[in-house]
Amino acid sequence: MRKTLVALTIAAAAVPMLIGVAALPRPGDPAAPAHAHVGARYIEGGAPAAGAENLVTGVLLNYRGLDTFGEVIVIFTALAAVMAVLTPAAPAPPRAPAAGAVSPVVAFVIRFTAPFIALFGAFVILKGHVSPGGGFQGGVILGSLLMLLSVVMGRGARAPLVPVAAAPWLQAAAPLAFAVVSVLGLGLTGMLLGFPAAPEMALVRESMMIALELGIGIGGAAIILALFLALRGD
Amino acid sequence: MSQAFDLVMLALLIAMALAVARSKDLVAAAIIFSGYSLVMCLLWQHRGAPDVAMTEAAVGAGVTTILVLVAIGRTCRKEK
Repeated sequence: MRKTLVALTIAAAAVPMLIGVAALPRPGDPAAPAHAHVGARYIEGGAPAAGAENLVTGVLLNYRGLDTFGEVIVIFTALAAVMAVLTPAAPAPPRAPAAGAVSPVVAFVIRFTAPFIALFGAFVILKGHVSPGGGFQGGVILGSLLMLLSVVMGRGARAPLVPVAAAPWLQAAAPLAFAVVSVLGLGLTGMLLGFPAAPEMALVRESMMIALELGIGIGGAAIILALFLALRGD
Repeated sequence: MSQAFDLVMLALLIAMALAVARSKDLVAAAIIFSGYSLVMCLLWQHRGAPDVAMTEAAVGAGVTTILVLVAIGRTCRKEK
């Protein structure tokens, strides 16, 4: 009985999805809606209009900047929810540092690879303008680095990896950067999150986009570290 | 060639998804799911979406796996 119900539920979900997939246009079909309407305009004039050579970055930060603003707030809210559930109201008494628990091989490999991972993360964040990558991807790489480092450094409340006073500001870096750039855009162009289009303002526009990328990257890294620490129970 | 690559990758995805669903060991399921993300990342790259491929590799194969493993460490390893 139960198995029949499970099979029926799966079929009810799968059959409409498969019908939908079958009705999709073939990949690369020039008559497909994705290539026929606004997509063509973005591909033709998107790079100079949005101020980023990588079209994906231009769409993320400029054409749909407000959606990305909402996205970073969602990520921040996820961290807030995890901390609300997992962080005890009163700080636990500091445990004895588990220094001997990590094998020297693991500690050496983490310390040896850390600078290279950090360089790659910074490269991905800052190179997102011209090549694939950007704040989200680079931030996750930096966050993985912080998770690795938290295995060998700064265990527990006695020696935290990120200073306690700075942690909330770093975790909120992405929404804060978006808020600052939004207000700046309001002052410069009269539109929230507007980027000045004049050629002589190109430097200002690029600085605004780099500020957004850095905010997303740093905020993402801090949030991933905080999720890891909250789940691990520090 | 391109079609064959897609078919092999999609077959791998289906096999891995079934393995995740059938596995009683949650750590094994998490590792297989990480491999699933890696195959998905190759597919995105092959489809010409390098930005999505990078995100899939970093978030799907990397961070999500670690967070799931930490959560398993705080609960229990075997599915009952």
